[in-house]
Amino acid sequence: MGVCITGIGVVSAIGMSVDENLSALREGRTGIGPLHYLRGTKASLAGEVKASNEELRAALGVGTEYVSRTSLLGLRAAREAWGDNKRSGVIRTGIISATSVGGMDRSEVFYKDYLAQNDPDYRLLTTHDSGSTTERIAKELGITGYINTLSTACSSGVNAIMLGARLILQGTLDRVLVGGSDALSGFTIDGFRSLMIYDDQWCRPFDESRAGLNLGEGAGFLLLEGEKSLELTGNKPICNVSGWANAADAYHQTASSPDGKGATLAIEHAIRRAGIGLDQVSYVNAHGTGTKNNDHSESVALQNVFGDRVPAFSSTKAFTGHTLAAAGAIEAVFSVLAIRDNLIFPNLNYRTPIAETGLVPATQLKTDVEVSAVLSNSFGFGGNNSSLVLTKYE
Amino acid sequence: MNKPALYLSAASTISHQPTFQNPGFSAALAQVEASSALISPDYKTYIDAGLLRRMSKILRMSVACARDCIEQAGADQPDAIVVGTGLGCLQDTEKFLNTSLTVEGLLPPTSFIQSTHNTMAGQISLSLGNHGYNMTHTQNTLSFEHALLDAAMLLREGDRNVLVGAADEHIDILNDIAEKLGFETASPLTSGASFFILSSESAGNAAAELTDVYTSGGAEYGQEEIDAFLDRNGMQIGDIDLVLYAGTPVSGAVRNIDYLSLAGVYPTASAFALHYAVDLLATNSEVRNVLICNTLRKSNLGLTLLKAVEA
Amino acid sequence: MDSLKEDLKKQIIEQLNLEDLTVADIADDALLFNDQGLGLDSIDALELIVLLEKYHGIQLTNPEEGKEAFKSVDTMAAYIRKRKAA
Repeated sequence: MGVCITGIGVVSAIGMSVDENLSALREGRTGIGPLHYLRGTKASLAGEVKASNEELRAALGVGTEYVSRTSLLGLRAAREAWGDNKRSGVIRTGIISATSVGGMDRSEVFYKDYLAQNDPDYRLLTTHDSGSTTERIAKELGITGYINTLSTACSSGVNAIMLGARLILQGTLDRVLVGGSDALSGFTIDGFRSLMIYDDQWCRPFDESRAGLNLGEGAGFLLLEGEKSLELTGNKPICNVSGWANAADAYHQTASSPDGKGATLAIEHAIRRAGIGLDQVSYVNAHGTGTKNNDHSESVALQNVFGDRVPAFSSTKAFTGHTLAAAGAIEAVFSVLAIRDNLIFPNLNYRTPIAETGLVPATQLKTDVEVSAVLSNSFGFGGNNSSLVLTKYE
Repeated sequence: MNKPALYLSAASTISHQPTFQNPGFSAALAQVEASSALISPDYKTYIDAGLLRRMSKILRMSVACARDCIEQAGADQPDAIVVGTGLGCLQDTEKFLNTSLTVEGLLPPTSFIQSTHNTMAGQISLSLGNHGYNMTHTQNTLSFEHALLDAAMLLREGDRNVLVGAADEHIDILNDIAEKLGFETASPLTSGASFFILSSESAGNAAAELTDVYTSGGAEYGQEEIDAFLDRNGMQIGDIDLVLYAGTPVSGAVRNIDYLSLAGVYPTASAFALHYAVDLLATNSEVRNVLICNTLRKSNLGLTLLKAVEA
Repeated sequence: MDSLKEDLKKQIIEQLNLEDLTVADIADDALLFNDQGLGLDSIDALELIVLLEKYHGIQLTNPEEGKEAFKSVDTMAAYIRKRKAA
C-alpha cells in the first residue's frame, strides 16, 4: 500500500483553493501580472496571491498581526489539505513545511524602519525564523510532536514530501501533513534581479527566447497517510507517493551543470525507487523556471534519462510564477490533479524549441489521456535537485 | 528495514571555546565569557581560496568542520550531507537586506546567493564534489536534532556514512533584538558549528554511539516525556551518568551540566553539547551514558541519548 | 601608467573580495575568467557588471555582452572608454 495522498490544498496566483487552481489550469489562465498588494518593488510582473494579509487573516480567523504572509498562505493550503480530519491520540501525526525566506515579508518591514531609525517594531521579527512559520501552522491546526521545516531553496517543497514519506515508511509517524509556503518579498525580487534572471516580461519556460523567471507566491500541502492511519481514518487515497530522490549537482553555487548531472541523478533514482519503467511515466511536471540555465540543463537531464522518448512534459510556472520553496508542493498538488482527472497541463508562452535540445512541451490541455504516473522536478540554488514520482492508487 | 548501530566516527567543532582539533577539550572547559570571540582556525588549510573569499563566518565554520570530519573518519565521500540551522546565514541576509533597501542601482548578488539556509550544505557538497542526498533542516532550537534524526534514518535506509552537523552565526543586531524582545539569557549569544560523521559500522575509531534522538514541538513538555524516551531505550534516569541540558536541569539525574554556559547561546548549541559528550565519552571512562536535554525553548523538546562504545 | 586600469584593478579586488591579491598581482592582459589568470566565475561576472555601474556609470543589462568586455583589465578599460565616448 505504501504512502498514500488523501488530502490536497493549494493557494497560488491562480486561485485560493484546489478547485480555483484547477479551473485556471484547465482554462489556460495565468495569475502573473503587475503587483497589487506588495508595493515598492522593482518587479513589473509577479504571481501574486490575490488577497491582502488582512483578508487572509480574517478568512482564517487569525487575530494577531504578528504573523507572516508565508504562514498565512501556508495555513490556508494546510487547512484545505487537512480537511475535516480529526486530531487523534492514536495516530501519530506530524507536519513538515518548507520555506526559503520564512517571515522575510515582515522582517523587511522592520528593517526599513530600523535603518531609518523610525521606531522599528521588534515584534515583527518574532516571525522571521523559518521554523516559526511551521510552528504557527501547526498551532492553528492543533498538531504537536513532530514539527519540522526544510529549507533547500527551490527544491524544498519536494523534499518535505520525501521526508514525510520516509517517516511513514520507517514507522516514525502514521500520517504527516507536508508542503511548502513562500510569500513574495522585496528581498527575493531584488535577489533574482541581482542575478539578472528576473524577466520583466511574462516568463517563457522551455522557449528559445526565454530570458528569466517571474517570481510567485503561494503554498501547497498534501496529507500523507500510511496503512495504519488509513484504517483508522477511513480516508480514500487519491494517489501514491511512490518514488523520490535528492541529489546534489555540486557544480556551482547557483547555476545548474550543463550536463544536468544532479538533475539526471534525481530523476533516475526517483523513477527507480517507484519501481516503474521509463515508458510508464505519463507526464513530467518540469521545474521549468524560464531561465536560460535551468531549462537547458533540465532538458538535457530529461534526454539523458529518457533518450528520444521524453514523455509529455510542461512547466506550470507561467501560470503561478516561481514560488520557490512552495513550488515543489504546489506542483505536487497539480500532479495529483493530473492523475486524479487524467489531465496534462499546458506550458504557456512556448513557441520555439531550445536549439540545443529541440524538446517540445505540451502546449494544449490534454484530457484524452490516461495519466498513471507523474514525475515532478524541483531544482534549486546550491545544487539541490529533487524529483518525485506519484502514481495512481492501486 | 534494519536497525544498524549509529557510530559517531568523527566530530569537529568551531566555537568560542578551544574545541577545534583539540581532543580531550571537555576535561578543562571554563564557562564561556561574554567578551569571548570565535576561535577560528586557519581556514585556508581547509577551504579553496576561490571559495573562501566570498564566505561569511557561518560558511567558513561549516566547511572547515566538514572537511575536518572527513579527514578524521578517513572516508572519501559521505553518502549524504545533512545540516541543521536555526537562523541560517544571517550575515549575508542582513547584508543583502541592507543593500536592497539602500542601493538604488544594480545590486551585487553574492550576499543574496549566500543568504539561503541551504548554503552550508551546498558549499560542503561543492567543496567535496559530493552528489549525494543534501538536506537542510531549520526548526528553531530543534534544527540540529531534526538533522540528526534524518541522518539516523538514512543509515537505516542503507547509507553507511552520513555527514551531519549544525551551524549558527551571531551578528551584532541579535543582541539588540534579544534585549528589545526581552529574551534574557545567563550566557552570552555566540556562534558555533559542529559536524559529525554518523556511521553504520565502526572502524575502531568511534568513541560513542547514538542510541536515540527525539523531538517534540508545540507543547510544554513534562518529565514523563523524558521518562518515556528513556524507557523506550530500556533505561531510567538513574542510569544516566551525565545530563547536558539547556533550559531546565533534569530532576533525578546524577549530574547536570548547563551546556549553554560552555557553548554560549545559539539555536543549534545542542550540536556543541553532542561534541562535548562524544569527547567526554572518549576520554573519561567513568562516563558511559549521556543524555542531552534541549529545552532552550520551552515548547520545543529535543532529547539525544549517547553511550560509550565498549572497547 | 594607465590610471583607469589601476583603478579597475583596485575596484576588482574590492568588489570580488580578492583579499590575497594586490594591484601589482594583476597583469593588464591577464585572463580574468581563466584558471591560469584570476579564475573568476559567473557570479563574479555579475559583480563586475555592478562595478561598471557603481564606479563608471555604465549599464550593461545583458550578461552575454559582458563576456567580451570582461576578458581582461585591458578589454574592460577599452570597453569603458568606448562606452564613454559614444
